[in-house]
Amino acid sequence: MQFNAIQIILVAVWAFIVGIDQFDFLESLYQPIVTGAVIGAILGDLQTGLVVGGTYQLMAIGNMPVGGAQPPNAVIGGVMAAVFAVASGLETEQAVALAFPFAVMGQYFVTLLFTAMSPMMSAADKLAEKGDTKGIVRLNYLAMGILGVLFAIVCVGGLLGGSALGTTLQEFSDKYQWFMDGLGAAGGMMRFVGFATLLRIMLSNDLWGFYFAGFAIAVIMDSIEATAKSTLLLTAFIGIAIAMYDFQTRVAIRQNAGSGNGGGDEDGI
Amino acid sequence: MASNATHYNDLKPAQPLDKKTLNKMVWRSLNLQASFNYERMQAAGWLYCILPGLEKIHGNNKEDLKLSMEHNLEFFNTHPFLVTFVMGIVLSLEQQKTDINTIRSVRVAAMGPLGGIGDAIFWFTLVPITAGITANMAIGGSIAGPILFLLIFNGVQFAIRFFLMSWSYKLGSQAIEIMTANAREFTRAASMLGVFVVGALTSNMGGTTIKLEIANGESPIVIQSILDGILPKMIPLALTLLLFFLMKKKNWKPVYCICLLIVIGIVGGFIGIF
Repeated sequence: MQFNAIQIILVAVWAFIVGIDQFDFLESLYQPIVTGAVIGAILGDLQTGLVVGGTYQLMAIGNMPVGGAQPPNAVIGGVMAAVFAVASGLETEQAVALAFPFAVMGQYFVTLLFTAMSPMMSAADKLAEKGDTKGIVRLNYLAMGILGVLFAIVCVGGLLGGSALGTTLQEFSDKYQWFMDGLGAAGGMMRFVGFATLLRIMLSNDLWGFYFAGFAIAVIMDSIEATAKSTLLLTAFIGIAIAMYDFQTRVAIRQNAGSGNGGGDEDGI
Repeated sequence: MASNATHYNDLKPAQPLDKKTLNKMVWRSLNLQASFNYERMQAAGWLYCILPGLEKIHGNNKEDLKLSMEHNLEFFNTHPFLVTFVMGIVLSLEQQKTDINTIRSVRVAAMGPLGGIGDAIFWFTLVPITAGITANMAIGGSIAGPILFLLIFNGVQFAIRFFLMSWSYKLGSQAIEIMTANAREFTRAASMLGVFVVGALTSNMGGTTIKLEIANGESPIVIQSILDGILPKMIPLALTLLLFFLMKKKNWKPVYCICLLIVIGIVGGFIGIF
């Protein structure tokens, strides 16, 4: 099936939008059920698009981006599955399988962007030091734009190169798996820089115990299946109790000290 | 680098934020993850979301605006659909020109627990139910499927975003009287809670493991399980403490730390540790 220029542009625009939508905007346009219908309509077969989108959605329900973990990119998966189903008349499962290498590629781009944006935070610090509010706004829009463009490129590539390109991508990604694994691991470790930055400011020497206490309680809860999903909420309950106790005790001590030393108002009665 | 100032220069509370500014920030909150990255996650997006409020609050004092922007660029990660709850509280503290350490600690303490709640509401409940029903409509060839899905999902999403913003902004303003009467004690308690939560985050969000094995005939020695035997989540804890040490004692900038981690990651990937 040949695509005309308008169709290619529209698919690129939709890929740009949902590339961003997976993290921003409405965070729901990217879902296969919506994307399938839109791609189907663009390529002139709404019915097939609806069926592929619906089927893929049911497959993807168990694959939500929970707790920041990345699924094999459902966004590109949805776009490309619809493209292959409409263009080649494939069954949904086959179309999804053909879309897989593109979904992997999309995921690589997300990893690369999130890695590259980390050193950009120093530039953001400089903007904040200058009080440059417009700069901060631009930085955010720029990052969104880059993500959208990357996704548009992958999808247009898939549209023009078809499944042949998919095979090439698959070979490429298999070959450099170690690099992406390493980058993924580095990405997973970078949040510790964020934690350390917070601690650098918040942690006075007499609070070390609370850091380790929070860590210990979270380790316990993370390793129990029943509590693992609510670890942070449950630890916050405990933390709030400790903090409130400290607050109330110290307020009481100060008030008593005040009445004892200086002879507060009550003493004069 | 974040400066070490603990107070705003102008301590006079600003005018309460009007409905229009609050609503504007609700709309901005959609793009919380615009500049998501592995180091500070949603930090720059968070600052982008609350900027309209900060500009109103610190409009008369450029130095305070800078201070506020700097500390609001520190590590931030919460559930994207529930972020307006944190925004409301933090903005009410900013408006009252609360001690910066207190704002930071409250922000950290509020962002953590929301993740699990948001996942439970949206990804485990709303999406499976809505998508389950509407996907079958779509498979049946009905265009109402995707439309209904979008309407329900976004209806819930926007209701929650707007409600949390106004509710938590009020909540923060009400709690402030108690706080300011005992400011020093409150700051200490908030810092305790903040540090406690960062400790919990180190375990809960730290997933770094190694897959190194030492060949030993039938049963290879798996290094990770030995480490887990000593202390689960040992690697996240050790890395956080190492980076803390490098930044606090050796004055490393975050960028150097990131470069170090990228090198560790790629070299580790090459020799098969990760």
